[in-house]
Amino acid sequence: MGGFKDRVMSDILQWEDLNLFGDLLPADRVMRGESVRIVMNNRFQYAFLSLMFPDMGGQGSLASSIWLQHGNQRLPAGSPEFCLRVGSMIRHRGLMANLSIRENLLLPFLYCGDEGRLQNARNRVDEVAELVGLERLEEQAGERSSFTHALLSLGHCLLQEPDVIVAQEVHVGMAPDRLQLFREKARVALEELGSGVLYLSASEHEGSGLKFARTHRIVDDAVPDVSGVW
Amino acid sequence: MRILQAYIGGWNWRAERLGDQAINLFNSIVRFYNLFFSVFSICLRMKWLSRPAVTHVLIRQLYFTGVQSLPWVLLFALGAGVLAVYSIVVFAQQIQDLSLIGTLMNGVLVQEVAPFTVGIFLLARSGVAVVTEIGNMHVRGEDAFLRSMGVHPHEYLHLPRVLAFALSGLILTFLFVVVSIWVGGLVVSWSYTLNFSEFLVEVRRGMDIEMMLAMMLKGMCFPMFSCMVLLDQACRVGRDPNQIPIRATNGVVGALIVMVLLDALWVVSRIVL
Repeated sequence: MGGFKDRVMSDILQWEDLNLFGDLLPADRVMRGESVRIVMNNRFQYAFLSLMFPDMGGQGSLASSIWLQHGNQRLPAGSPEFCLRVGSMIRHRGLMANLSIRENLLLPFLYCGDEGRLQNARNRVDEVAELVGLERLEEQAGERSSFTHALLSLGHCLLQEPDVIVAQEVHVGMAPDRLQLFREKARVALEELGSGVLYLSASEHEGSGLKFARTHRIVDDAVPDVSGVW
Repeated sequence: MRILQAYIGGWNWRAERLGDQAINLFNSIVRFYNLFFSVFSICLRMKWLSRPAVTHVLIRQLYFTGVQSLPWVLLFALGAGVLAVYSIVVFAQQIQDLSLIGTLMNGVLVQEVAPFTVGIFLLARSGVAVVTEIGNMHVRGEDAFLRSMGVHPHEYLHLPRVLAFALSGLILTFLFVVVSIWVGGLVVSWSYTLNFSEFLVEVRRGMDIEMMLAMMLKGMCFPMFSCMVLLDQACRVGRDPNQIPIRATNGVVGALIVMVLLDALWVVSRIVL
C-alpha cells in the first residue's frame, strides 16, 4: 500500500460554476489531502454525480465543466482516465450482483485493459479485502447490505489509490455497530491513502469525522429541508 | 352544439393518441438506431478484445446462450427438422419429382425453418433472461456503478450479449440444418421411402453457395437483432422493478416482429436484385 506516497505530482479535481436545477454551485477544487463538503439534498447529489460520472460512451467531453487536472493534462469527467483516477463511494452503488466479490474489486482493472495495473491489483486484492474486512471473495455478490456496498467502494479506492475520492453518505442505513466499524475502516483507509475527499452530504451535522477545508451549501427551495431533524 | 363539441373532442383525443404513438415509434427507432451503431462501432474498434472484463462476460454469455442451448436445439432438429425433411421427401415422391427435394429443402428447411426455429428458441430461452438480468441491473443502479468505475455499459453489458446471440445463432442454425438433413435422410432410408445416397444426391443438387450464405446471414442476424430489441427494452426499465415483466413481453414480441420484417426484407431484396 502507499504506492502514491512518493508521488510528487498530485491530481486536482476541479469544477466550474455548476447550475444544478437553477441553483449555483460555485467553482472549486479538491486537492490531495484536503476535504471539501457540499451540503445538498439527494436530488442535487445525484444530479452532481451524474455530471461527475456521465454516460459519454467512454470518451468524456473536453467541454466538461468538471475535470481532473493531471499535470498539464485536463481529464474531463466521464473519460476512462478520469474514472481510473477519481475514487467514488456512492451510496448502495458499490457492486455488480452477478460478479464475485473478487471480480467486483478487480472490475475497473479488468476493464481498463492495462496488464500492469491489473497484475498489480491482483497481487494486492487479498490484502485489501482483509483490510476492509471482506471475506469469501469467490462468492457471488448478489444482493448485499449497504455495509458491504460501502466496504467494496472502500476496497476499490484502496486498490485505485486515487488522489481524490468523491464520497456520498455511504453509511446511511447502516446498523449503529456496522456504522462504527465502517467509520473506523474508512478513517484508517483515508489515512493510508492521504487522498482528498469531496464529501456530498444532506446534512451539515454529518461529516463522518472529516475536517473540512470548505463547505458549500445548496438549498432546494422546492423541498422542505428536514435534514438533521430525523 | 354540445354533441358537436363531444364529437370534435373525441377526434382530438384520437388524434392525440395517434400522435403519441407516432412519436413513441419514432423515439424507439432513434433509440434502437443509436444502440445499434454504438454497439457496432465498439465492436469494430476491437478495444474490447484487450479488456478481460468484457471477454469474461462474452464467454459466460456464449456458454449460457450457445452451449446450454445446444441439447435443446438438437432435440428440435430431431423433431421439427426431421419431420420437415420427411414431409418434403414424401411430397416430392407423391408428385413424382425427386428433383424438388433439394429445392424444397433449400427453400423451406435451410432458409426458413432452421433460422426461425433457432431464433425463436434463443428468444424464448435467453431473450427473457437478457431483459430480466439487464433490467434488474438498472433497478439496482448498477449502471451508475459502472459509470463511476469508467466502464461503458454498451461495451461491458450489451456488446457481449449481442455477440453471443449472433455467434450462437450462426452455429446452432448450422447444426440444426446438418442434424435435420442427416437424421432425416436416415429416417427416410430406414422407412424405405428413398435410398440414403439417392437422398443425399438430391439434397446436394438443390444446394448452392448463395443458399448457405443466406442461412448463415439469417442465422446470425435474426438472434442479433432480437437481442438488440431486448436490450433496448431492458434499458427502459429504469428504477421500477414492475417494468421488468412488461419490458420482457414487449421485447419478445418486438423481436419476433423484427425477425419477420428482416425475413420479408430479405425476400423483397431478392426479388428486386
